Amino acid sequence: MIYKPTSVREAVALRTEHPEDTVYLAGGTDDLRLGSCAAGKDLIDINGLVDSTIDVKDGKLHIGALATLQDVVESPLVPAFIKEAAKFCSSFEKRNAATVGGNLALRRDDSYLAAAMCAAEATLLLYTSEGETERPVAEFLKCTCTPIIEAVVLDADRTGWVKRFGNTAASHAALIAAQSGGVYALTVHGSGLAVGDSPAICETLDYKDDLTGGADYKKYLAKIVFEQGR
Amino acid sequence: MDYKCRINGELLTLTGEPAERLRDVLYRSGFLSVRDSDDAEGFAGSDTVVFNGKLRYSNFILLYQAEGAEIRTAEGLLNGRELNYVQKAMISAGIVASAYNAPTAALILSWLLEKNPYPTREEIKEVLTGIFIRDAGYEHYYLAVKLAIELRDTGAYQSEIAPSFRPKLDAIGKPMDKIDGAALVSGEPVFVEDKVPANAWVLHVIRSPFASAYIKSIDISEAEKLDGVAAIITAENCPDVYYMQAGQGNPEPSPHDRRLFNRKVRHVGDRVAGIVARTKEIADQAASLIKVEYEPTDAVYTVEEAMAPGAPLVHNGPVQYNAGAPADLDEFNARAGDPREGKVVYQFPLGANIQKNIAASNKGGIGDMEKGFAEADAIVDHTYQTSQIQHTPLEPHVCYAHVEHGRLVLNCSTQVPYHVRRIVSWVCGIPENKIHVIKERVGGGYGAKQDILVEEMTGYAAWITGKPVYYRNTREEEFIANSTRHPMRVRVKMGGKKDGTITAIFMEVCANTGPFGNHCLTVPMNSCSKTLPLFKVDNMAYDLKVFYTNVPPAGAYQGYGTPKGNYGIMMAMAELADKLGIDFKLMIEKNHVEEGYMLEILKGLGEGREGNVVPVGSCGLDEAIEKGCEMIEWGKKEVSDDPDWKIGKGFAMIMQGSGLPGLDHAEAIAKLETDGTVILNSGGADLGTGLDTISAKIVSEVMKLPMDRITVVSGDTDSCAFDTGSYASSGTFFSGNASLAAANKLKELVLKEAALQLEEKVEDLDVRAPGEVYSKVTGAAISYYELTHTATSGAGRGQIIAHGSFVTAASSVPYGAHFAQVAVNVKTGEIKLQKFYALQDAGTPINPECALTQIYGAVMKSIGHSLYEGMYLDKNGRCINANLTDYGAPMINEAPDDFKSVLVDVDDEFGPFGAKSISEIACNGAAPAIGIAIHDACGVWLRDWPMTPEKILKALGKI
Repeated sequence: MIYKPTSVREAVALRTEHPEDTVYLAGGTDDLRLGSCAAGKDLIDINGLVDSTIDVKDGKLHIGALATLQDVVESPLVPAFIKEAAKFCSSFEKRNAATVGGNLALRRDDSYLAAAMCAAEATLLLYTSEGETERPVAEFLKCTCTPIIEAVVLDADRTGWVKRFGNTAASHAALIAAQSGGVYALTVHGSGLAVGDSPAICETLDYKDDLTGGADYKKYLAKIVFEQGR
Repeated sequence: MDYKCRINGELLTLTGEPAERLRDVLYRSGFLSVRDSDDAEGFAGSDTVVFNGKLRYSNFILLYQAEGAEIRTAEGLLNGRELNYVQKAMISAGIVASAYNAPTAALILSWLLEKNPYPTREEIKEVLTGIFIRDAGYEHYYLAVKLAIELRDTGAYQSEIAPSFRPKLDAIGKPMDKIDGAALVSGEPVFVEDKVPANAWVLHVIRSPFASAYIKSIDISEAEKLDGVAAIITAENCPDVYYMQAGQGNPEPSPHDRRLFNRKVRHVGDRVAGIVARTKEIADQAASLIKVEYEPTDAVYTVEEAMAPGAPLVHNGPVQYNAGAPADLDEFNARAGDPREGKVVYQFPLGANIQKNIAASNKGGIGDMEKGFAEADAIVDHTYQTSQIQHTPLEPHVCYAHVEHGRLVLNCSTQVPYHVRRIVSWVCGIPENKIHVIKERVGGGYGAKQDILVEEMTGYAAWITGKPVYYRNTREEEFIANSTRHPMRVRVKMGGKKDGTITAIFMEVCANTGPFGNHCLTVPMNSCSKTLPLFKVDNMAYDLKVFYTNVPPAGAYQGYGTPKGNYGIMMAMAELADKLGIDFKLMIEKNHVEEGYMLEILKGLGEGREGNVVPVGSCGLDEAIEKGCEMIEWGKKEVSDDPDWKIGKGFAMIMQGSGLPGLDHAEAIAKLETDGTVILNSGGADLGTGLDTISAKIVSEVMKLPMDRITVVSGDTDSCAFDTGSYASSGTFFSGNASLAAANKLKELVLKEAALQLEEKVEDLDVRAPGEVYSKVTGAAISYYELTHTATSGAGRGQIIAHGSFVTAASSVPYGAHFAQVAVNVKTGEIKLQKFYALQDAGTPINPECALTQIYGAVMKSIGHSLYEGMYLDKNGRCINANLTDYGAPMINEAPDDFKSVLVDVDDEFGPFGAKSISEIACNGAAPAIGIAIHDACGVWLRDWPMTPEKILKALGKI
């Protein structure tokens, strides 16, 4: 079944009412893909309800949650390393549909954007059943709440770097590392997210063997990636 | 529900369920160019459309979201039947090959050029990141854009498309558009799925969750009661016919070790039951009602496990030989196990011992190995391991079967229409005259469609039910229930002298054929028979064994066993050169064969019988090596600005065959039609490689007729004559030679008829463009039209029809050398493929532009095998990466930065107009070239593919 709410509030209410059986539908590149966790669930279509523009206000970059990854790539306002992270979604067609909010909301440990956004100390404007709120991306990614992401906010002049390791460009990433303004972030497939103010964050993760590589391999990369830089 | 949208400028109503995928609705509504290659994985891009101005995957758009949308598909590129400039340029560039997603690619490039009339290479690359091209590679896409711009701006191409060969010939050796290019790139209904009527029933297969188990019981009673279920086929009611699925000549060199459904399942994904139902939903419901009780047994997954003493046996029934049974067969069969094992039937001995899991074996050699190694100053002895690889054609295995006039008609995507007919005939128990196989265009084969993996089951389902039945593999089934490249362990022991002379080579090959023995002897034999004959070495021996295991089935894959054998033998030679402290190129020069060298080693390498010992024929190996070394600046050490990146170079020599002399067979029939045009009925199966165009060019050249006056009908078992099929690089050499024989015969008959009509001597006549006979003596002339008109006027001698047949003992061997330059990051293990140069002697390249793209495509596949691809199984034998994303199929981002294919000009004695084969050989060079380059860069030998960053770090001792 597909719900087509007319407001964010209604969408959140539906999701709250049916927490196990529904997911939000934005760009559809994850919900509608083969093997998606959304298979068999009802969809709450939030297209048209949430901002998709990218602009700068008071030195802060606002990326509407429904902005696509390609919008990010093409925007002259977005810092280079965030654009580079968006291009980790290697397919042009997919980038034309996949949304910034969707990618973060999935909380995948091979998220294209998570490491870069955490390193950039980005925050999320969220709409919850209690109303609007703001949370750091890193904090959001570690919780299990299901608000609607309305926008991502970060310093417009943020600089940094991001680096991806994966089998092919289209494969799931084994590890993505980012660094910006003294903040370090890592997403490691099978292990999750680590964010902190030193490269020692790599010690906090429990590395697993999986298709993207052995635990030793990913642990080694996590250790040397910040030393190596991009 | 109805949804209004504008498609290709026309306001249309799409009807369907709101949550249906737009892709499915568009295809159903007649937009056939919008195909699906990945079951909505979001990888292959065959479903790309322009949606509200943006390129999107239509599998990720639901029907209700199309309300009010502006949609464009490839159908919108056409002006009537006229192709747009991009489509024309794509054909000219040679990239419309198997072409399952060629219309989509045309749409993408057209969209790009509308937005950006003069895109850079990077901008072209960016829009192609979402589309998977497996056949022609990506390199000529850049050329296609360049040509399209020239055509748009000036009305003609300004750039050279491909080099031309044989200046005295008009069509042969010249880049000319493929004759099926327009149909393919425009999205015409040319694939099997386009021929399936709306009332077709579906065939759904229940597959085994176990790697090895007996089926204790299967209860289909509840499922059978469902309305809309026509039949449920299981081991209990299927024909008791043993057969093989390999599309090979008859008598078949693969064991008959399976029935349609077996009482023992031998791999995860093995067939358990086939449900014929009116709809997929009914089939799913029926599947849920079928109760299967399994009795799991121990399984083996590797050759090491399979060969271990006391290993579980994959087949343990009685063995039967139709010829050459061993004397102790009764004793052997007395040890057979559970009756549910079934039996294994060999047409002739293949060195098998199923009670040791050995499906086939062979050994042999020349010279004195002991002496050879004793003479060596250094010896290397290493083992090279290759992973299980999937072909990943864009179009999965499909078949549509129905009964018409009491005959079984099969629309197939196959490389071997006549083998399909033979095997369906056996399985269904109906004679071949009652079966009509129509080979549609093939959306990617690469050997996968040399095997009869779905046709016999679909044909049987249609035959027993009388229903029109459609079967299509899911992408997951392509991985788990299809055929794959055999995983192999290749041990090479090689000895050499200080001056670089190789004194002895020993190859020990252990291949993993999975649960069935498709091509079980041929594939491993190729790992020796297409590598050892590269060497001018007196002492060479091989010992190969093929093991049954419980991994997903293996079978034919472009190159057969050669890519694996060549990986081992070239790496070993490089290791030996390194140990001896001499230049690899010097060692190659000292030891490779040249024209006239007698290939004694071939004697034992005859695929189950004695091989033909022949001298090396035309050979462009030297030129390929010299030119390639020059291009890559062999011997010059490259240094990166970044000390962590080390650069290295490597190369490998390669060879293949051109079909199987003495085994392959091709025929063609050429007819002079009533207006003087020619229809050629070729038994050959064009897989997108341009074989039909080759046949047309041959007729054009012989008959001096323009190409547009020749039509090729191929791969139709009713209208064409027998051909063993397109595999083992046989297309150009065998089917092309049959077309040449038919064309020559047609010319002979035309001249005879003209002699009678003109009242001249045959020897005084010849043909000339644009299709007439003239007298070299009197100057009299008669057009083909006049000639055939009189011949078929009612008082004439009848239509002129010529039959050409081709068999040979001669061998036309293509040679080449592939070069790689890699950069390796010694801190992270990352590998960048900076350069790849493929130089090949293909004899006369009849379609030079297609020859180049076939090389690019095959090299991309082998780059994939070498660096990225591999199927991985869990401890229970379940493939855990049965999708394109996790499998690691390479796309445009994985293509080398600098990628060149070069055709070395060699005229062959036996090929049609001097042609040899082209594409299979191109799979053989990447693994060793890259492996040797990695060693040159960072000093480690990676002896198993894929060669990954993780393996580099391990070899460097970092992890």
